[in-house]
Amino acid sequence: MRDQRSYFEKAEFQSDLPLQFLVLTVGVILVLVEVGLAQWPFFYSASPILSLIFMYFMMIYHDHLMPIITVFIMGLVADLLLSDILGGRATAFMLLSFVMRLSAVRLQQSEFLDLWVYFSVSCGAVVLFQLIVFSLINLAVPALNPLLFQVGFTLILFPIGFVVMFSTKRLLEAIRLIG
Amino acid sequence: MRPSDKTKIKQRRLAHVGLIVLSFSLMFLGKADLVSLRDGRMGSNDFLAPVIDFVSVPIRGIQTMAEGIRTVASLRAENVRLKAENDLLKRWRRRAEILESENQQLRSVTGAVSYENRKPITARAVTAPGGSFAHTVLISIGSEKGIVQGNPVITSDGLVGIVIDVGRAYARVLMISDINARIPVILSSSSWPGLTIGKNSEFLELAFLPAEAKPAIGELVLTSGHGGVLPAGLAVGRVERVEDDRIWVRPAVDFRHLGYVSVLIGGIEGIDNSNLSLGDFFTPLPVEDDTRLLEGLNASGTRQ
Repeated sequence: MRDQRSYFEKAEFQSDLPLQFLVLTVGVILVLVEVGLAQWPFFYSASPILSLIFMYFMMIYHDHLMPIITVFIMGLVADLLLSDILGGRATAFMLLSFVMRLSAVRLQQSEFLDLWVYFSVSCGAVVLFQLIVFSLINLAVPALNPLLFQVGFTLILFPIGFVVMFSTKRLLEAIRLIG
Repeated sequence: MRPSDKTKIKQRRLAHVGLIVLSFSLMFLGKADLVSLRDGRMGSNDFLAPVIDFVSVPIRGIQTMAEGIRTVASLRAENVRLKAENDLLKRWRRRAEILESENQQLRSVTGAVSYENRKPITARAVTAPGGSFAHTVLISIGSEKGIVQGNPVITSDGLVGIVIDVGRAYARVLMISDINARIPVILSSSSWPGLTIGKNSEFLELAFLPAEAKPAIGELVLTSGHGGVLPAGLAVGRVERVEDDRIWVRPAVDFRHLGYVSVLIGGIEGIDNSNLSLGDFFTPLPVEDDTRLLEGLNASGTRQ
C-alpha cells in the first residue's frame, strides 16, 4: 500500500521561493555590475568578484535563500558575459557552496577576522580552480598579475561589502518587525 | 525527521551533483566549439547586453565625471600641448599629401592594385575584459548591419581584433591581446614577417621572426595581410622590449579606453564562403565507356 503520510503533513505556508528569486536577481545584478566595472581603466581585465562576496555572505547566514541553482545561474551568467570558459566559474562557485554548506554553522559563530581569512582562502580557491581549468584546456598560462590584482581587490572590498550586507539584513529585519 | 524531509534532502543532493556534472561537461562542450552552443551563447549575449548597458550607465557616468574634473584641472597645459601638436600635424599633413601623390604615380607605373572597397561601420564597445582568462569585448552591432565572422575591428590608432561571434544586434570581438589571437605581421622598416601572439596581458609576443631580423625598440608592427583575413597595413603595435629569446610588442590601441570602434565590412579579404561551391573548382571528366582505369588530365590539362 502506498505511503500517504506526506499528504497530511504540515503545509508550507511560508514559501522561500519569492525571496530566493529576489536573491537570484540581486546576484545576477552584481555579476552585471562586475562586468560594468571592467569599463573603468583601473579594473581593466581584473574586475573584483562582487558576486563571490554576496554568495559567501548568503551561504553563511541565509543558505536556505540561496539554492544551488542560484549559484549555478550566477556563475553561468558571469561565464557568458566575460566570455570565460563556459561553466568554469559556475563549477567553482558550486563546489565552494558545497564546502560552505558543510561548515556554515561553524562560520556563523566565528569572528569577523576568521571570516575574512576563510573568504581569502575561498576566493583564492575559486580563481585557482579557474586558472587550472583554463591552463589545462588552452595549454597556456595567462598573465598572473591581473589575477592577483583581482583577488587582492576583492579581499579589500570584502569588509565594505560585508558591512553593507549586514546593515541591509538588519534593516530588513527591522522593517519586518514593524510590519 | 519526516519522510518528506528525507526525500527533499535526497533531491537536493541529487540536484547538487547533477548541476556540478552539467557545469563540468559544459566546460568541455564549450571548448568543442559546437555551433548550437555558440548560437546559444550569442543569443544570451543579445539578451543580456542591453541589461549590462543599462547597469553600466551610472558606472560610465562616474568615469565621465572623474575624467571631466581631471580635464578641467589640466585645461591650460592641455591647450599648449594641443597647439604644439597641431603645428606638428600640419607639417605631417603636407608630407602625407606629397607621399600620397608619389604613391599614386608609382602605383600607376607598376600597375599595383589597392584594396579600398571596405566600408567602416562604427559601433560602441558595450563591455570590456573583466577577467584575465579572456580578452573579448561585446560591440553594439550585429548581423542586422551586415557584420560577419572574421571582420576586422579597428580604431584610429590601429587594430583591435576580429569579430568571432555574431548575434542579431551584438557581436563579440576577439582582441589581439587574447591568448588565442595570432596576427600575421611585418616589421615596418625591414618588412620581415612574423606573428604576434596574445598573452592576456598588456603586451603581445612577436614570434616566428627570421633569425636575420633585428627589430628596433619602437619599431612599428603592421598587419601583413597574409592569410587573407585582415587587410595589410593596419597598425598592430610597437616593439617595446627585446629580450634574449623573446620580443614584446605594446599594442597600438590602448584597450583600457576603448569607447567606439569601427568594423570593416566588405572587401576582398574576410572569411566569405557564401559562393564557395565545388562546381567552381572541379570539373569532372566526361564519362566514356572505353576509358582506361588510370586515365586523367595531366598538369598541363591534356588528357593522358
